[in-house]
Amino acid sequence: MNARGVAAWSAACLFVALSTTNPVYRAAVLAATLAALLASPGRARARPIFTFVLVTAALGTLLNLVVSHIGTTVLFELPDGIPGLGGPYTAEALAFGVSTGVTLAAAVLAVAPFSLQLGPEEILDALPSALSRTGSALAASLNLVPALGTSLEAVTEAQRLRGWRPRGPRSWAAVAVPVVLTAIEGSIQLAESMEARGYGSGPRSHLRPRHLGPRDWLLVAASTAAVGMFAASLLTGSAADWYPFPTLAPPEVSALPLAACLLLFAPVPLCRWSRSPS
Amino acid sequence: MPLVALSELTYWYPGSDVPALRDVSLALDGGLTVVAGPSGGGKSTLLRVLNGLVPHFHGGRISGLAEVDGCDVRRTPTRRLARSVGFVFQDPELQTVYTVVDREVAFGLENLAVPGSEIPGRVEEALGQAGILHLAGRRVATLSGGERQRVALASALALRPRMIVLDEPTSQLDPDGAARLLEATRRLAADGCAVVVAEHRLDHLIPAATTLLEVRDGSPEQTDPRTWRAPSRALRVGRTTSPGPLAWSLDRVDAGFQGRPVLADVALSGSSGEVVALTGPDGSGKTTLLRVIAGTLAPLTGRVERRPGRIAYLPQNPTSLLHRPTVLDEVMLTLGRAGDRGEAVEILEMLGLLRAADRYPRDLATGERQRVALAAVLVGTPSLVLLDEPTRGMDAFARSALQGLVERLRDRGAAVVLATHDAELTDALADRVVSVKNGGALPLGPHLSANPSPASGGGGLPRERGGKDLL
Repeated sequence: MNARGVAAWSAACLFVALSTTNPVYRAAVLAATLAALLASPGRARARPIFTFVLVTAALGTLLNLVVSHIGTTVLFELPDGIPGLGGPYTAEALAFGVSTGVTLAAAVLAVAPFSLQLGPEEILDALPSALSRTGSALAASLNLVPALGTSLEAVTEAQRLRGWRPRGPRSWAAVAVPVVLTAIEGSIQLAESMEARGYGSGPRSHLRPRHLGPRDWLLVAASTAAVGMFAASLLTGSAADWYPFPTLAPPEVSALPLAACLLLFAPVPLCRWSRSPS
Repeated sequence: MPLVALSELTYWYPGSDVPALRDVSLALDGGLTVVAGPSGGGKSTLLRVLNGLVPHFHGGRISGLAEVDGCDVRRTPTRRLARSVGFVFQDPELQTVYTVVDREVAFGLENLAVPGSEIPGRVEEALGQAGILHLAGRRVATLSGGERQRVALASALALRPRMIVLDEPTSQLDPDGAARLLEATRRLAADGCAVVVAEHRLDHLIPAATTLLEVRDGSPEQTDPRTWRAPSRALRVGRTTSPGPLAWSLDRVDAGFQGRPVLADVALSGSSGEVVALTGPDGSGKTTLLRVIAGTLAPLTGRVERRPGRIAYLPQNPTSLLHRPTVLDEVMLTLGRAGDRGEAVEILEMLGLLRAADRYPRDLATGERQRVALAAVLVGTPSLVLLDEPTRGMDAFARSALQGLVERLRDRGAAVVLATHDAELTDALADRVVSVKNGGALPLGPHLSANPSPASGGGGLPRERGGKDLL
């Protein structure tokens, strides 16, 4: 898929997930991003992202449950004397936490295709000429991520053999500082090498110009329609917001915003289309 | 007018009062120019003046005149000079933007807005010049270091520059990769391209060189390459002790990752005061074997035993370990953790680092950093010393210091295992050589000295089993 098509879809997912507090629409976006990832060729490499998303969503939920003690449906209570934790734990706080967790998960999965499905060149190629300098920084940062993983493993192992033992957060400086410094130095060298090959000279040409194909146009159209329909729903009030406090109540659901969310599933048939024999 | 004309050029890096280049005046034209000199002498800085990375990328102050291909370097940005000067950096992994070879080679052409219809021909031409036409379409991640470096060379050549500059291009390569790259470089010079190469190992280049520049303390001195004489090979120093009792052993060990063995049925051992060299091509499993001996990688099957004591492990990129505020702090950190009485000042003096003891290690030149890493890892009295490609990227001084350190540790009773491509180092240090390839480790027998006890031998090794971390 063309990076511009993927960018349009990611932007549409983020717009819907972040512009509403209604957990049904947020969950629909999460389902769309999950389905798109599972249908994509990059799904084999998605496991670490799924783990990250699960942990992030769980933490978001837990944090809200622990911090917010308001609401009328009390699930259980801890003595007020326990600092930070004491007080009533409510179904409303739990529901709000789940809704927040779902939003975090949907937002992360919406941008995941950039690392799982697209090569750095596809992302750079998709940038408008005016952003070519930004692309240099982007490529450098993309290079930083895998280098960080490799470096972390090697430095941890070597520091252990040098007598280092993890004892509390401060002890991790012996690993984190060299890993980050090495990765930054590596990225500076990459930027130096790009500069030496004329990057940032002006408008670029392309070895194989990446035009939007029929699938990409369909994805852009579905994403644009989703944004348009959801924005209209927000303006007309049919995409009703939801707030669980003081007493938990089910969210209202309307057809138009739900249809907008369904359009975000567009990558699923489009991925299947691209894999089917022509 | 010469292609490169520098006149009274002086350059200071940002925040430095000491110039990295001092009053440099020189003229260069076609042919092969070899730039030599010690680490920290100013070779890389001089090379970066040629394409404007100094001063435009690095900042700092510059005075004097610098003209390359008729352009004033001080006023012409690097991206403009890229049309005249192609640049190949030291580390092949840190100069790749794209994931596929032909896209990578086309990157510079795209930057200079060469019409898309022209690019495939130019890419093919550059791949041919670098001798890697067969790599077109391959994923960069699947290439060896030597192949990657020739991709970098092709990327520079695709711009059809008047000059190619290579900054220690072979320092991260195995001997085969280095030889192929230098061959391609020599061919370019013979075909009429101006080539400037900074290298530590000059044997392959000097016969084809038209100019030799020796850079020390920021000042290059132009000499006739025909007057250059190869330094004498490292000599094997006589032992002061004989190998002692068994220090480590591997018994029918399979080792690998995620259940898939890289090495199978390995039976090896080493003794205190003995140096074992592991040789073999890149990716053959030398590092895996070192990690199994160190105990950081558990064997899939088989038994690993080690004599208790401190392990000193020098990884492939040892400078990545440096994180303390001063050189002395780095050395003291290891000694403090090991509870070793050690001799920090002595080792710094031995490695020529005493004057840099209070400096931040990452501010030092590459060769000096390597020596700091050596000092930080090898200080004190470890009982097992494991070195992974220890001479990769080292200058002559650091190599000589490494050899001295290893001899000292060996004579104090440390068992030493080194994984290396460096035949000279193997000749100078190894008591035994083990060939690691095709998933196995084949002892090649004694190397100059008597072969100590084999794996099956066994006396006296305290029981430390199963690859567990002994620290």
